[in-house]
Amino acid sequence: MYDCLIIGGGLAGLTCGIKCAKEGLRTAIISGGINSLHFSSGSIDLMGYSADKNIIHNPFKHIKSIKRKNPQHPYAKIPVKTIEESITFLTDELKSEKLLFYNNSGKNHFRITAIGATKPTYLSQESVFNEQLDLALKNNTRISILNFEGFRDYYQEFAFSNLKKNSLFNKLNISSGSIKLSFLPDTKKHLLESNSIDIARLFETEKYLPRISEEIKKAAGDSTIITLPAFIGLNNYNKIHKRLLELTGLQIYEIPTLPPSILGMRIDNALKSRFSSLGGEFIAGDKAAGGEIYNHRVTHIYTENYTEATHHAKYYVLSTGSFLSGGLQSGFNKMYEPVFNLQFNWSRKRNKWYSDNFFSAESHPFLSFGVNTNAALHPYDKDGNVIDNLYCIGAVLSDYDPVREASGGGVAVSTACYAAQKIINGIKG
Amino acid sequence: MQRYETEVIVIGGGATGTGILRDLSIRGIDATLIEKNDIASGTTGRNHGLLHSGARYAVYDLESAQECIKENKILKKIARHCIEDTGGLFVTLYHDNPKYHDLLLERCKLAGIKASEISPMQAMAIEPNLSSHTLKAVKVPDAVIDPFRLTSSNMIDAVERGAKIFTYTAVNKIITSGNDSVGIECINKKNEKIEIYANIIINAAGIWGQHICEIAGIELKMMPSKGSMLIIDYRTNNIVINRCRPPADGDIVVPGDTVSIIGTTSKEIDYDKIDNCNVDDDEIDTLLKNGEDLLPNIRRTRGLRAYCGIRPLMAVSGKVKGRKISRGIVLIDHKERDGMEGLITIAGGKLMTYRLMAEKTCDLICKKLNRKLKCTTHKLPLPGSEKKIPAKQTIKHFSGIPASTVGSTFYRHGQRVHNILTKDKKNYRLICECELVTEGEIEYAIKNLNVKNITDLRRRTRIGMGPCQGELCAYRAAGLFNEYNSTSPEESLKLLKDFLEERWNGIKPVFWGDGLREIELSYWIYQGLFGLGDFGDSDTEEN
Ligand SMILES: Cc1cc2nc3c(=O)[nH]c(=O)nc-3n(C[C@H](O)[C@H](O)[C@H](O)COP(=O)(O)OP(=O)(O)OC[C@H]3O[C@@H](n4cnc5c(N)ncnc54)[C@H](O)[C@@H]3O)c2cc1C
Ligand SMILES: Cc1cc2nc3c(=O)[nH]c(=O)nc-3n(C[C@H](O)[C@H](O)[C@H](O)COP(=O)(O)OP(=O)(O)OC[C@H]3O[C@@H](n4cnc5c(N)ncnc54)[C@H](O)[C@@H]3O)c2cc1C
Repeated sequence: MYDCLIIGGGLAGLTCGIKCAKEGLRTAIISGGINSLHFSSGSIDLMGYSADKNIIHNPFKHIKSIKRKNPQHPYAKIPVKTIEESITFLTDELKSEKLLFYNNSGKNHFRITAIGATKPTYLSQESVFNEQLDLALKNNTRISILNFEGFRDYYQEFAFSNLKKNSLFNKLNISSGSIKLSFLPDTKKHLLESNSIDIARLFETEKYLPRISEEIKKAAGDSTIITLPAFIGLNNYNKIHKRLLELTGLQIYEIPTLPPSILGMRIDNALKSRFSSLGGEFIAGDKAAGGEIYNHRVTHIYTENYTEATHHAKYYVLSTGSFLSGGLQSGFNKMYEPVFNLQFNWSRKRNKWYSDNFFSAESHPFLSFGVNTNAALHPYDKDGNVIDNLYCIGAVLSDYDPVREASGGGVAVSTACYAAQKIINGIKG
Repeated sequence: MQRYETEVIVIGGGATGTGILRDLSIRGIDATLIEKNDIASGTTGRNHGLLHSGARYAVYDLESAQECIKENKILKKIARHCIEDTGGLFVTLYHDNPKYHDLLLERCKLAGIKASEISPMQAMAIEPNLSSHTLKAVKVPDAVIDPFRLTSSNMIDAVERGAKIFTYTAVNKIITSGNDSVGIECINKKNEKIEIYANIIINAAGIWGQHICEIAGIELKMMPSKGSMLIIDYRTNNIVINRCRPPADGDIVVPGDTVSIIGTTSKEIDYDKIDNCNVDDDEIDTLLKNGEDLLPNIRRTRGLRAYCGIRPLMAVSGKVKGRKISRGIVLIDHKERDGMEGLITIAGGKLMTYRLMAEKTCDLICKKLNRKLKCTTHKLPLPGSEKKIPAKQTIKHFSGIPASTVGSTFYRHGQRVHNILTKDKKNYRLICECELVTEGEIEYAIKNLNVKNITDLRRRTRIGMGPCQGELCAYRAAGLFNEYNSTSPEESLKLLKDFLEERWNGIKPVFWGDGLREIELSYWIYQGLFGLGDFGDSDTEEN
C-alpha cells in the first residue's frame, strides 16, 4: 500500500512525486511512455501572454488577476504564494541535481527560438539565458549564431535574420556561420542524418572537445558570444559546458530546436534521478489501464501489462498529460479521459475543436479541453461525484491554453506542489 | 511590361494543359503554357487518381467507357512510373441489387473491357480486408495513376523540347483584334504584367474555362460539381475496390503509395464558390460509412487528410445532373461556335483521358495552322518511363545507398532517378523520413521542376504527405529552399508557414484520434517552440 500513487511521470507527476517522497511518503510513479519534456523548449513558462495577446513581464501580478477573470483556470485554484513556492521548490530540487536555472527576480525573461522569435518565459537553464547574456544585450557585443555544418534540424540563417530585426538585439553586432567538423571523417558523414541526441554524444566524447572547440573558435571569428542549437551534451553537460568555455574563451548559449529536446531531457533525467534518490519508486513502461471507484474514493488501479495485479494507495494523482501523452483521448465525435472516465470539458461538435487557421491568434480550442476539477483539484466521476482521494495535475487539466498563454510548465509545477501538499497534510494529519 | 510571341498559348497547367504542351512540342510547334498557381494544383491534383478501366461508365456511357479502356492501355505503356497496375474489383454486397452485376459484365464486353467474374472466396483471397458480406465480384483492369508525376513528366518533356511554362501567372485578359483573339495579358506574383501574342490560344483551364471564355466575351456554362475524398493512413486494399451499383457516394476505394483513398461525394455548387470550397463534415461521415461497407476495418484506421475537387463538366442542354452528365470530352472551336478565330476550349473528360484530349486539341490546332503533323504521344513514353527496368536493377546500380531510398526515388521518378541520386551522403540523406525523400530529390525538384514553394515541392516529391504530415521535414525543407533556391530566410519561413496552413486545411476535416495528437505536437513545435505565427505575413517583426 502506497501513501501516494502517481499515474504519469511528466513534469507534473515527477514534481509531485519528489515533494511527497521528500516528506517521507511511500510514493510511486507509474509511467507509460516518454513525456512532453522531450519535445519542449526546456524553459519553464509561467504566464507569458495576456488574453489580449500582450507580453506579460510580471507573471505573478497577472496570475492574481486571473482569479477574478477566469475562476476555472488552474491558477485560480491555487494561492499565488503556493505558485511562487512551487517554482522555488523546483529550482532547488534541480539545483541539487546540478541543473542550474536562471530567473529574472520574479519577472519573465525571454528565450530565443530556432527561427529567431523571442518568447517570454520564467525559468531557463543557465546555458540558455543568464545574467551575463542579459548584460551583453545592453552593450555593443558581438554575437555569432552558429551551427554544425550539415545538421538538418536547425538553420542558423533563420534565427540570424530575424534576430537582426528584433529590437531587443539592436545594440548587438550579430553574425552567423557554420562550424566545420571535417576533421572527423566518419562523424561528418554521420552528422548528416543525426539528431540532437547523436550530437550530444559527440560532445560527451572528451577527446573530441579540443578539436571541436578549435573549430568553434574559427567559426566565431571576433564574436565573444556564440549560440549553438541545444545539443551540448545530455549527461554531464555541466562539465562539458564548462570545459568548452575554458577551451574557447567564449560565452556559449543554446537554442532549442526540433525534437528530441536535449534541454527538456536534461530536466527529465534530473527529476527522475532526484525522485529515485529520495526513495521514490518509478515504475516505467507500464500504463494505468483503469481504476475502481467506490464510495467516492479510488480503491485500486490496474495496469495494461499486469491486469490481474492491482496497485493500492491512500491517495492517487492523475498526471497523464494531454492528448499527445495519452492522458486525454479523442475519437470520431468523442473525447474522454481513459483511466477513470472522469468528467471532461470539451465541445460536442468536432468542428469546434479547432480554429480555421493553423496559426490563428486565438490558438485552438482543444488545447483548453481536459479534466474538470473542483477548487481542491479533485475531479468528478461520470455521475458528477467528487473523487476525494484523487487529484488531477498538469496538462490533463482543462481551462487553460498552455501555448497561447505560455503557461504549461508553471501550471504543471504549481498544481503538482499544491496537490502534494494536500496529500502530505492528509497523511501526516 | 514583358512581351512575348509564340505560336500557341495554352492556358492551364493541369493534366490537359501540360499534355497539350507536350504534344505540341513533340510535333514541333512553339508553345507557351500559363498557369495561375502550380501545375497540377487545380482539379488534376484533387481527384481520386483512378486509372479507370471504363467499367464504371460502361453501363450508362458506353462512349466514355471505350475511351477509358483505350487510354488505360496506352498510359500503362507510356507513363509506367506514374501508374501502379493494381487491377480492380467490382463488389456486390448482399444488400445490393445483383442485377447490376450482370449488366456490368454484359456492358463491359460491349465496350471491350476485360471483365471476369470471380467467386467471393477468390475476391477475399485477393483482398483480405474485403467485407465478408461480398456476394459477387468482377475483376477489371483498373489501376492507379499519380496525377502529380503525370503532369510533371509532361511538363519536363515539353520544356526539354523547348516549350515555355510560366507558373503563378494568371491570364486576366484576352487580347482581341476585330473578331479574332490574338494574345493574352497576364500578371505574375510580383504583379508584373506580361503580354503574349500567338496564333492560337487554348483554353485548358478546366472548371475555370468559363471564366476564360467570359474575359474573351464568350458565354460558356460549366456545371461545377464538387467531390470530396478522404485519405486514410493505411493501405487497406492493394487493388481498386468499386461498389457494384449505379455510381453513388463513397463507392470507390483507391490504394495509393502507402495510403488508401475513399471517394467520392457529389454536390452541385455555384460557379462563384469554386475557389472557396471545403470538405464538409457530413461528407466525411458519408465517406467513412460507405467505405466501411466495403472494407470494414476502415473505421479503425486514422484519417490522414481530406480534400475536394470540382469536376469540370460542361453544361449540355437538358437537366441531367452531377454524376449523370456525360464525362465526355468537349472540344470547342470558337470560330465555329461564336465567330471568334484563334480560341479553342477543351474541357470535360477525365484525368486519364488527358492524352486523348491533347491529341484532339492538337489535331485541330494543326488543321488551323495548316500543318500536317501527326500525333505520336500514344507511342512515345514520358521521361522516366522510357524503358521497362525492374527496381531491383536500379537498386543494384546504386549499391551503398539504402535500397528503400533508391526504391522510393525510382518509384516516383522512374529512370530520372539517375539525374537525382548520387553516392554523396549529403545527396541521399533523408529529409522526409515518412516518404523517404532525400536532399538530392529536393535539390533536383527545386532546380529542375519549376518549384516555387514547399507545397509545389510536395506535389513533385511527396514530402510531408506521410503520417506526420510534414512535422519535421517541413522545417528542413524550408532550410533547403534557403540553400538551393536562394530564397531569403524570411521568404523561406513564409513558405514554411504557408505550407503548414495548406496542410492544416486538409487535416481539419479528419481532426480526431492520432491526427489530433500529431497536430498538438506540430502546433507546439511551430508555435510554442518556434513562434512561427508571431511573424506577420509582411516582413515586419512583431516582437
Ligand atoms: C510538445 C510540447 C512542448 C512543450 N513545451 C513547453 C515549454 O517549452 N515550456 C513549458 O512551460 N511548457 C511546455 N509544454 C507544456 C507541457 O504541457 C508542460 O510543460 C508539462 O510538461 C506537462 O507535464 P505533465 O506532466 O502534465 O504531462 P506530460 O509531460 O505529457 O506527461 C504525462 C506522462 O504520463 C504518461 N501517461 C499517459 N497516460 C498514462 C497512463 N494511463 N498510465 C501511465 N502513464 C501514462 C505519459 O506517457 C507521459 O510520460 C509543452 C508541451 C508539449 C506537448
Ligand atoms: C472528385 C473528383 C474525382 C475525380 N476522379 C478521377 C479519377 O479517379 N480518374 C480520372 O481520370 N479523373 C478523375 N476526375 C476528373 C479529373 O480530375 C479532371 O477531369 C482533370 O483533372 C481535369 O484536368 P484539367 O487539366 O482539364 O483541369 P485542371 O486540372 O483544373 O487544370 C486547369 C488549370 O487552369 C488553371 N487556371 C484557371 N484559370 C486560369 C487563369 N486565368 N490563368 C492561368 N491559369 C488558370 C488552374 O489553376 C488549373 O491548374 C475526378 C474529378 C473530381 C472532381
